[in-house]
Amino acid sequence: MVDRFVIRQFSLFLGFCFYCALCLNVAAQERTEPDGLKFFEKHIRPVLVKECYSCHSNASDDIKGKLTLDTRAGIRKGGDRGPTVVPGDVRQSLLIRALRHTDAKLKMPPGKKLPEEVVSNFETWIAMGAPDSRDGDAVVGDKYTADMEQGRRHWAFQQPKTAQIPNVKRTEWPRTDVDRFIMARMESKGLIPVADADRRTLLRRLSFDLTGLPPSTEDMTAFESDPSDQAIERAVDRLLASPRSGEKWARHWLDLARYAESTGKTVNFYYPHAWRYRDYVIAAFNKDKPYDQFIKEQLAGDLMPSDDPGIEAERLIATGFLAIGPKTLNERSGLKYELDIVDEQIDVTTQAFLGITVACSRCHDHKFDPIPQADYYALAGIFRSTEVCYGTVSYINAQRQTRLVTLPEKANVETAAPHLSDRERQQLEAQIKDARNSIRSMKDGLQQFFAQGRISLLQAQLDACEVDGRPKRLAMGVRDKPTPAGTGLRLGSRGRRFGDFTYDGMESIDDSPVYVRGEPDQPGERRVPRGTLQVISTEPLVIAATSSGRLELANWIASRSNPLTARVMVNRVWLQLFGRGLVPTADDFGLAGQQPSHPELLDHLAIRFMEDGWSVKRLIKYLVTSRVYQLSTTADNGAMQVDPDNVFFWRMQPRRFDAECLRDAMLAVSGQLTATPPVGSAVARAGEGPVTGFSRRSALTAVNDPRNTHRSIYLPVIRDNLPESMGLFDGADPSLIVTSRKQTTVPSQGLFLLNNEFVMRAADAMADNLLRVESVPDRIHEAFLGLYGRLPTSGEQSATEKFLKNYQDRLATEGVVEARRPKETWSAFCQAMFASAEFQYRK
Amino acid sequence: MLTRRELLQVTGSGFGFLALAALAHQQAARASEESGPLAPRETHFAPKAKRVIFLCMEGGPSHVDTFDHKPTLTKDDGKSIPWANGAARGRLKGSPFQFMQHGESGLWISELFPEVAKHADKLCVLNGMHTDRPNHAQAYLQMHCGLFQFPRPSMGAWVLYGLGTVNQNLPGFITINPPSSNGGSANYAASFLPAVYQGTRIQQQSGQETVSNLQNRRRSTETQRLQLDFTQELNRATAESLGESPEIEGLISSYELAFRMQAEMPEVLDLAKETETTRRLYGIEESSRVSGGRGIPAGGSSSGTNNFGRQCLLARRLIEAGVRFVEVTASGWDHHRSLKESLTSSCRAVDKPIAGLLADLAQRDLLKETLVLWGGEFGRSPYAQGDGRDHNSKGFSMWMAGAGVKPGINYGKTDDFGYEAIEGRVHIHDWHATILHLLGLDHERLTFRYAGRDMRLTDVKGNVVNDILA
Repeated sequence: MVDRFVIRQFSLFLGFCFYCALCLNVAAQERTEPDGLKFFEKHIRPVLVKECYSCHSNASDDIKGKLTLDTRAGIRKGGDRGPTVVPGDVRQSLLIRALRHTDAKLKMPPGKKLPEEVVSNFETWIAMGAPDSRDGDAVVGDKYTADMEQGRRHWAFQQPKTAQIPNVKRTEWPRTDVDRFIMARMESKGLIPVADADRRTLLRRLSFDLTGLPPSTEDMTAFESDPSDQAIERAVDRLLASPRSGEKWARHWLDLARYAESTGKTVNFYYPHAWRYRDYVIAAFNKDKPYDQFIKEQLAGDLMPSDDPGIEAERLIATGFLAIGPKTLNERSGLKYELDIVDEQIDVTTQAFLGITVACSRCHDHKFDPIPQADYYALAGIFRSTEVCYGTVSYINAQRQTRLVTLPEKANVETAAPHLSDRERQQLEAQIKDARNSIRSMKDGLQQFFAQGRISLLQAQLDACEVDGRPKRLAMGVRDKPTPAGTGLRLGSRGRRFGDFTYDGMESIDDSPVYVRGEPDQPGERRVPRGTLQVISTEPLVIAATSSGRLELANWIASRSNPLTARVMVNRVWLQLFGRGLVPTADDFGLAGQQPSHPELLDHLAIRFMEDGWSVKRLIKYLVTSRVYQLSTTADNGAMQVDPDNVFFWRMQPRRFDAECLRDAMLAVSGQLTATPPVGSAVARAGEGPVTGFSRRSALTAVNDPRNTHRSIYLPVIRDNLPESMGLFDGADPSLIVTSRKQTTVPSQGLFLLNNEFVMRAADAMADNLLRVESVPDRIHEAFLGLYGRLPTSGEQSATEKFLKNYQDRLATEGVVEARRPKETWSAFCQAMFASAEFQYRK
Repeated sequence: MLTRRELLQVTGSGFGFLALAALAHQQAARASEESGPLAPRETHFAPKAKRVIFLCMEGGPSHVDTFDHKPTLTKDDGKSIPWANGAARGRLKGSPFQFMQHGESGLWISELFPEVAKHADKLCVLNGMHTDRPNHAQAYLQMHCGLFQFPRPSMGAWVLYGLGTVNQNLPGFITINPPSSNGGSANYAASFLPAVYQGTRIQQQSGQETVSNLQNRRRSTETQRLQLDFTQELNRATAESLGESPEIEGLISSYELAFRMQAEMPEVLDLAKETETTRRLYGIEESSRVSGGRGIPAGGSSSGTNNFGRQCLLARRLIEAGVRFVEVTASGWDHHRSLKESLTSSCRAVDKPIAGLLADLAQRDLLKETLVLWGGEFGRSPYAQGDGRDHNSKGFSMWMAGAGVKPGINYGKTDDFGYEAIEGRVHIHDWHATILHLLGLDHERLTFRYAGRDMRLTDVKGNVVNDILA
């Protein structure tokens, strides 16, 4: 909620803006007596501000009755019911009826009658002609406050404060300080937490949360038989040390980083080198790379030199973060194209690291947050001074090819593209030669155009490899543009053209002008010095004329004095573990977002995270060893009444596994999972070119390949072509920056589980394994242990046996040969279990 | 499912008790479904409409070039904006398209909709629409869910929750080709309503409408039923162990629906069952197969009527089969650039299919109980943005046709330039309230308790537009 100070600022601001348009107009009609204005200022305005503005002003969250009372125009125009104030006519003025409570349907302020003295002041004022010094249009809906000082007071823009660890009455309950914060809030609400989860449930929860995979039967047995206090800690350490944990937590980051292996949008082209960034993120989580370092490398790894070629390569790859975004390759205007890419980079940078959206300030000052358009273009200057290296080919209507980043020769990096033999090379060269020759004889321009495209694709295959046939060691990423030669403006058209494609982006490091309404053809006169958001920085960034400013920006974000960075990250980790963020709007820490449910705990975690060397693994461990994490999912009627949304974490929220966990779990329990990560991806092997093309190797067929047994994070991610197993179960749309996954339940998921080839293959594989076990009861035991992490109850045991028998009989009735019946039956059983809620839910 | 004959067979072979128990169980399950969440329900008052087809134009179609005739705007083409507004600058842009009056009603419709114009006397054009935000994602979500600030159930989910569905073998709420952007699946989500009310997506791929994984290649229906019964038995146990768990209940219902869909959906999706005459009516050309869609070169299918024609015909087949709410989407109405060419091609792609749908519904006597809605998340600015138009949320047009609405009228109007709705203003909340009203539902009484509040599609707002009720 915006406070009244802002509202006054706002009306002054508006007043200034619309002075010419309105004030003159109104002033001409009515002369307002200075005494009348004094009366207004003294007796009327304070009451309006105090009693009415929270619902009836341009700055109120929800303007009631479409009525705004914070401008002269607004109060006279009125809302849904007509004019509120008719100057000189007390009886016609709705305001008086409302204040006098004469109309049963219109009593204002709600639930309260103002003193007679105040009401009669209003009558006097209206009788005087309602003199009103406030200017501005009665705009409903356009709410903006540009007040920077006020904005800085927003909780999230202030430094986290060390909070005292609260005392709680139930002293025996808390295990860690996290629990003390949680319990203190619960006690203040009269809530009592449910009991702890049993050990099997807990290990299954930990195993999925930390590695994305179910626990093995051996781990389960070991954990259950270890009653010591350290058993949980040991399990957590073991899970976090597993390379599988990086694969799990990297996926959360890739959602935010809108990781994909194609451009998406209008014309979709592959990014054959994007996978290196994916692997970088997995390795970063596995190595527990300090989060501040992780930020810096992604924004400015190319500007962080190292003597170690391996580290150098890693840092170059990290900047792929800025290169893998969606792109409109058929955009004609080079300037617009550059501004669009920069916009996307600003969007992902501010959302992923800072939890706020800045991109709306491209066209106008931010409507909710104190982010003026100038701040946006200060950031834009940094990214416009940066060259994006993402590859693609020049092809028909996609003329936006760039170079890629070449990795250091001495770095030990793998390559995924196929080797090019001498024979293949000669063939390609011959094809290119033929095509070139044939172009000369073509008269039709369009035909030439297509032929040129074909040559580009052939050439791309050649260019992908060194002369000796080894695939080139390339990556996506960024680097600084050259420093400006001399002084003066370097904006404007460069003369280079391709058809109607222009290439008039910035050629060298420079500041950017503000573009009026974001229009590329309307640059403002003033250039904004490269820098960052005023609302969370008191001192401007110091950026040398010879540097883009990315490193400075990265250092500013990854700094302990940035109030957002650590808070946003601990909130993300909390969200993944608990299903709901401490700040529920994990993607918006700005003024339009929601307040944290536990502000002190959030700050406690943020400060601890930074003091603990920005270690994500230690943060995870700290959270999962708390008691609140280990609660059962049992619903309690009393607590349900008080806190149905579980805002205060009185139980663990049950939830369905995400798409990756579900698919990976099917692979794991059926023994099919290929633990060794693949090198590259199907897209890397397809090489440069359009996703849907003719006569080309395509990665599309690999997207839903049911025989793929690698973990889901390694599936090809082609924009607008999400694997079915991901898309159906709310996988992240890679064109969007995804903070939290949705959870939907639709029949198409049921159809997938009932009929999809991948699911049936997993069921078959699991059946094969079960059939190697001697007795039927043992098979059932093993299946329940593997799928649910527990033994069947006697009821389940007999229900299963009954099902197996009925099913076999049914197959006999249908004439299925006897030899096939056991496998068919056990496979049907495994598939039925895959479809069951208990397998798919994290309890 | 066991037939009577099969039942006798198994009883005869000595499994009498098991089989009978299974049958009793199935019958009980079926009975509970009939009174379950999707069963048809009493309305608050007598409905005029029984079902809805929403023709959703994603991106914000220009009202001043289609259904809102503005001679003054044309006259003042090129002049600077005569009203004061902080954001809007630039020059007025008169419509490059001719408007003419159509039908007995004399509605003004531009040359962009020659086919729809033939049905002018069926349309109830709302010229005074307005919404809260001129941004796609927010406005698109608001149009579907009432609010954009928080996740809320989609209008289709509310309708299904309020009315249930008459065909238990098909989803009651279907959305064809919804966009993945602008909120994506949030636009057909059930949100806090039970998940069973969520929209089911049908995707158009290579010119065919498909619901994935509709067939099992190796199990008979009977064996699959046995298998699913076992799954559901496990699921019910899970639901009980968790206490209150609408999610698991939703899962159970969704599986049942999936199972029944396998039988019924392929029939409904098969457009070959329609006559050539009908297909042509919708602009579906036998020869022109839809190209791959995305990829190279861009364009291709966008101006053809085939894609949208198939969607419209499918919509009719679905509502005929008893689906309560069908939404079809035509994307790409965000005409910031090259208004003349791009708007022409967008309109051409939908004009004939929509006209075909209206004609077909009328000739099958379905229109009198079917409410057809047309519109996008907002309109476009009367001032130019390059050679296109910017977003405009302060005034735009949508139309309704069919059950319960006055035919052949304009309701509401914008100012002389089409910028702001000034008369007969209809906010999206009012639009929702009116749609529910036509379906026999009082938007203030159609509530669902969540987070301690009785939630509504219209939040705390919305007025039924009584003037347009027939």
